Amino acid sequence: MKYLKVILTLTFFTIIFILLNILLKPKYMTDLVEGSMTNAFYKEDMVHDVIFIGDCEVYANFSPLEMYETSGITSYVRGNSQQLIWQSYYLLKETLKYETPEVVVFNVNSMRYSKPVSEAYNRLMIDNMKWSKEKIDLINASKTEEENFLSYVLPIMRYHSRITELTKEDFEYLFRTKKTTYNGFLINKNIKPYTSFPKERRLPTYEFQDIDYEYLDKIRTLLEEKGIRLVLIKAPSLYPYWYDEYETQIKEYASTYNIDYYNLKSIADSIGIDYETDTYDGGLHLNYYGAKKLSKYFGELLKKNYNLTDYRSDAKISEIYNKKLIEYKKALESD
Amino acid sequence: MLNILLLLLSIIVITTFGLNSLIFISLSAISTYFTGKYLEKHKNKPLLIFIIILNLLPLIFFRFTYLVNKFNILVPIGLSYYTLSVISYIVDVYKNETKSEKNILNYLLYVFYLPYIFIGPISRYKDVSKTMFTKKKFDITNTYKGLLRISWGFFKKYLIASRISLVISSITSNNLVGAYALLACILYSIELYSDFSGGIDMVIGVSNIFGIKLKENFNVPYISETIKEFWGRWHIALSSFLKDYVYIPLGGNRVSKIRNKINIIITFLVSGFWHGTTYILWGLFHGILVCTGNLFKTKNKYINIFITFILTSLLWSFFIWNTSFIEPLKMILSIFTHFNYITLFKNLTEINLTLFNIVVLILSILILTIYDLKQEKINNKISNLSPVLKTSLLCITVILVFTLGVYGIGFNHSEFIYSKF
Repeated sequence: MKYLKVILTLTFFTIIFILLNILLKPKYMTDLVEGSMTNAFYKEDMVHDVIFIGDCEVYANFSPLEMYETSGITSYVRGNSQQLIWQSYYLLKETLKYETPEVVVFNVNSMRYSKPVSEAYNRLMIDNMKWSKEKIDLINASKTEEENFLSYVLPIMRYHSRITELTKEDFEYLFRTKKTTYNGFLINKNIKPYTSFPKERRLPTYEFQDIDYEYLDKIRTLLEEKGIRLVLIKAPSLYPYWYDEYETQIKEYASTYNIDYYNLKSIADSIGIDYETDTYDGGLHLNYYGAKKLSKYFGELLKKNYNLTDYRSDAKISEIYNKKLIEYKKALESD
Repeated sequence: MLNILLLLLSIIVITTFGLNSLIFISLSAISTYFTGKYLEKHKNKPLLIFIIILNLLPLIFFRFTYLVNKFNILVPIGLSYYTLSVISYIVDVYKNETKSEKNILNYLLYVFYLPYIFIGPISRYKDVSKTMFTKKKFDITNTYKGLLRISWGFFKKYLIASRISLVISSITSNNLVGAYALLACILYSIELYSDFSGGIDMVIGVSNIFGIKLKENFNVPYISETIKEFWGRWHIALSSFLKDYVYIPLGGNRVSKIRNKINIIITFLVSGFWHGTTYILWGLFHGILVCTGNLFKTKNKYINIFITFILTSLLWSFFIWNTSFIEPLKMILSIFTHFNYITLFKNLTEINLTLFNIVVLILSILILTIYDLKQEKINNKISNLSPVLKTSLLCITVILVFTLGVYGIGFNHSEFIYSKF
């Protein structure tokens, strides 16, 4: 009886401690919604033929629901802000536990990074990921020198100082979430035309690092093993950090392994992207209007080149997608 | 069996701080173990002095930063603590105050014992051997006592010391003087006490769980009425080591008055040097204040406590601005020459003293003060609590530390101020 009481006391305080962890962790529902992208995937009720993986250049530039509407293909974007290549790999591994798509489209922008960059971006991506071996590996691969693994297990260790910054959002979304993205696409209808960018910075080396090739190889072999087609892309960002040397190396890699590679910046004009109206940050990312054009073009390309199914005539799937489209359009109108 | 596991764990953890730590500690342990056995039977004073000097050499060498930088050697972990532990052992054996340890594994555990190697307290073989080498068995009372003591240490470290460190680092990094320097000195008194005694609480708590009894290192130091009394209540392990192995061998108080004062000054200079070369002046000032005895003492107990607190606080400036001898003196001088006290109160948030931080700090210090003053009574009450209430108290402290503590990115939260000495 004495021990039972102690166990009950411990249980009571453990619950309090867990609740505090949940309360103090940012909810990413109204502010900084980029932190809600990883876990939005778990609410998906169907499989997809195409999975996009990559950084902000995928979640801002490709709208799966626009693709469905124009070409009938089903897709999902598993992208996060500054998602590094090892993060893409582990997120892809996790995704493949839930579904086996026909095609995986990987945006190669993250080949530029060879080490963990920012704790803040790590948090946005990892905080709400479900616990799995992939998450453990992802944390270990991603954490910066100042971070420790335990703070991902116990978010209170990272966010305890939020105790004085709690808002209504923290209580409102304590046990629930709301829709912030549409099949992984983050709507942004702001317009900020391209004016100019800083001059290209010269770098000490333009060689992709071994770690980038290592993870690109891992992505490739993982997909090969599962019979999934890998497609490499470079999203149409105007910012001058994708150097010619990078382009040459990625083309060589694609050619060596017989992988299709599309640099969408080089064909942005023919797609009809106008950097006066189709970007929300002066050419770094596309806004909704640009994403609509790009999605239409790329959806048709994927459907044609990879023989993907048009589900618009499939009663069951079209019913799900039509509901998604209604929600999506409602969000577009209210945005 | 548990002792062997403790020893192995200690060796493994110490090795992670560099192989040189393992080598230095092992050399110290082995040299004193065998010499101790020999000296027990053959009273050879030159050998005793030789082995003491041999063990002191690394401590002296590593106190000179420029030498360390020149030879680019990592300072062995726990150097200041294990050196004094082995010296106390060898001297005590020589003086027949304790018997030499027969079991080398026991002796290695005494030297390597992980909990106290980082922050102390400096242990004496004759004290710890009574409980350290006995057969260990699980004891729920000791476990509760240990866990509560550990959580109390965390409370002091993360709610008080780390919170104050934010303020002090803001003052020092912005080169603020005058009222800010005074505030830094006063707050540092509390930070150092909370940090150091918090760390010692953790060490004593862990040892409690293993049934190992360590001596207390603090006895409410800031209620001292004189500096001499302060040294009987602050860092007791070091003070008593210096008393037994430096002050008394120099003649202690059984000499002329002048010689006695010189002995006191020498002892405090050694204390300063033990902390590092930039602390020698701090030691000298403390020595002078002890020598001057009752110069600042009034008839009012509370005024005496206040004066002693202010004096020790001002001298902590040697710990805050510890890059040179001159800087602390400049800062103390600025307190009397820069009258920016109103500016300080107007800009509290700029030095991280937000309303929230002030409230948490005041409440935490209040809890600490009440506990310190009523320690015995409170400890008795806690030990008589039911397991459910003890568990609740433990859980509440842990939750408070996790929620209101200052730690995380930007803080080296595993480092204690006294672990660098």
